[in-house]
Amino acid sequence: MQIFFILGIPILLATLTFLFKKQKARGLANAVGYFMVLLLSIALFKRILFLKSAISFFGFIYLDALSGFFILITSTVAFAVSLYSIGYIGKDMEEGKLPEGKARAYYLLFNLFCLSMFFVPSVNNLGLLWVGIEMTTLISAFLVGFYNTKESVEAAWKYIIICSVGIIFALLGTILFSYSFSMTGLAKSLNWSDIVPVAHILDKNILKIAFIFILVGYGTKAGLAPMHTWLPDAHSQAIAPISALLSGVLLKTSIYAILRFGIIVIKGVGFSYFGNLMILLGLISLVIASGFILVQKDLKRLLAYSSIEHVGIISIGFGLGAPLATVGALLHIFYHAVTKSLMFFGAGNIVSNYKQHNMHSIKGVIKSMPFTGFMMLMGVFALCGFPPFAIFISEILIIISAFSIGSYLVAGSLLILLSVIFGAFINHFGKMLFGRLPKGRQVMGEPLSGKLGFLFLFILVCISGVAFTIFKKDLLWIAQKLLQV
Amino acid sequence: MQGLILSGILISTYLMFIAKRMSALTRVFALQSFFLFLATYIAAKELGQLDLYIVAGLLLVLKVLLIPMLLGKIINKIKVSQDLGLFINAQISLFCALFFTFLAWVFSARLNIPGSHTEVGVFAIAFLVVLTGLFLMISRATALAQIIGLLAMENGLFLFAATVSGGMPFFVEIAIFFDIFVSVIIMGLFVYKINNLFTHIDVNKLTRLKG
Repeated sequence: MQIFFILGIPILLATLTFLFKKQKARGLANAVGYFMVLLLSIALFKRILFLKSAISFFGFIYLDALSGFFILITSTVAFAVSLYSIGYIGKDMEEGKLPEGKARAYYLLFNLFCLSMFFVPSVNNLGLLWVGIEMTTLISAFLVGFYNTKESVEAAWKYIIICSVGIIFALLGTILFSYSFSMTGLAKSLNWSDIVPVAHILDKNILKIAFIFILVGYGTKAGLAPMHTWLPDAHSQAIAPISALLSGVLLKTSIYAILRFGIIVIKGVGFSYFGNLMILLGLISLVIASGFILVQKDLKRLLAYSSIEHVGIISIGFGLGAPLATVGALLHIFYHAVTKSLMFFGAGNIVSNYKQHNMHSIKGVIKSMPFTGFMMLMGVFALCGFPPFAIFISEILIIISAFSIGSYLVAGSLLILLSVIFGAFINHFGKMLFGRLPKGRQVMGEPLSGKLGFLFLFILVCISGVAFTIFKKDLLWIAQKLLQV
Repeated sequence: MQGLILSGILISTYLMFIAKRMSALTRVFALQSFFLFLATYIAAKELGQLDLYIVAGLLLVLKVLLIPMLLGKIINKIKVSQDLGLFINAQISLFCALFFTFLAWVFSARLNIPGSHTEVGVFAIAFLVVLTGLFLMISRATALAQIIGLLAMENGLFLFAATVSGGMPFFVEIAIFFDIFVSVIIMGLFVYKINNLFTHIDVNKLTRLKG
């Protein structure tokens, strides 16, 4: 039942945007709305975990633990973004960057974007899954080109074209899946829950070809290299709260789609085919991302390449196939979502204060913006996988299981690349955060609502890492539930 | 009859390779969609299914009439030169077309479809149309050619889906149509925006973002 409210609240908020006269009220309503969505999705996830079978409505909505998990991630980041937006949009309006109408458009698109991302994990039909993912592209293209500058329109155009082509390949893959299903002679259906039970009798060759198309198609949207080229442009040009959503959640919904098809392929063809492809793409992503991170000059592009890196780690985690690695990858999806959103919030504040993206001209952040600076400092450590923070846990799980199943090559290259990226990040951010304050810049206060968004994510980043060591058993149990699909 | 329609699709696909002007490309696209409509209509008549009639009707309204009209309107409004900006000239494009036909044929023969010989032919043509779309997107400089390339790819997939599994489930088909239509509108909006900001729609010159 909760799922209808989760899907309904964004629709309600989208229509309400036209009622509110004041920006503050609109932002506040959104924050309250998404807080409710967050509570509902926690309740939903909890309920699914204790159920024996998946929840299904009319064969249209199908919710198992995996969908519940992705809905939870989306609602967490969406709540943080709705908090952060109050301050950010308010500031942009004060500075005259955004007229009143545009602020309204922002909230309308934001709600539709969230709606499409809640829709993707809850739908059962693989064709509608495709439609949902294409919808996320189309809606967020406006949010990428939101400021209407030359750069942002260019980024939006590249985003929409590259992702649409990618997703056409995914449609081809979906058709091939439905073809292999129709060859079994069962009634025509594209429902995931109908295909999985008969996965072992599907034609192996067609499944293999179909999965390649799926991986290329949804991999484009997920930001796996070498199909990642739209990602740095879109992430760097999008309006800051949306960058957080793009990186934290949008990429993950495509990974969700890959996983759904992956489960069919694993059952039909065997694990090694799926695993090898995922590891290959993951390693390519890591190598490319580490190169670009080393030489990066633009703050938001740096974070975008870091997203490619983390998607690569997630893909390797799923590709290894050991249960522990899969747990690591699932946790990494959540941990990366909260940490990267925190970083994009910080980057948004820095960019709007310093009025530029170039890291060479941004100096002394911690002096001029103490709160944001401190959060960024902690965020960098968290993002690179420092021990008390969340990402450390998931990365170490993946690396341990890589060693324990004997893929030393994967584990070794993962470690080397991660240390390169760590060095590059500390170098870039060290200069930016601690450098000498440029003349004429004063200490700035920051609005409370913006701070709340930061604090919410920061507490999650800290707690979820520590919580793992305490609630190890419970979390592993949950992860096991996620794997039983 | 089936053979005639298939060769119609094939010919309209080849015409896409040699089109040099935007309006010509849009017209060829409408022609291709029209042949697709005919194929669907005949299938609907044979099977007597209401679903297929609706799909055929949507094809006619959206892809043969509305989308080409919309694109034509954009071309008129933005007032840039009609030239598509061919990186690869028409003659060499046609050679590429032959090569793609061969590739598509080999690929569909390899897929091992149990069934008649015509089905392999339909497969080959469907893949050729997809490849054509991809080729147009890569080898033509203007934003409009990219939109039409995307639409052509989608046409190929439609043909493919119709032959392999008797089409997608009905409401998925409808959702995909809706989706395609919305995406054309949104891409059209962005073409306007690009034209306003850059005063051209040559996507090859969009090189501000690097690294």
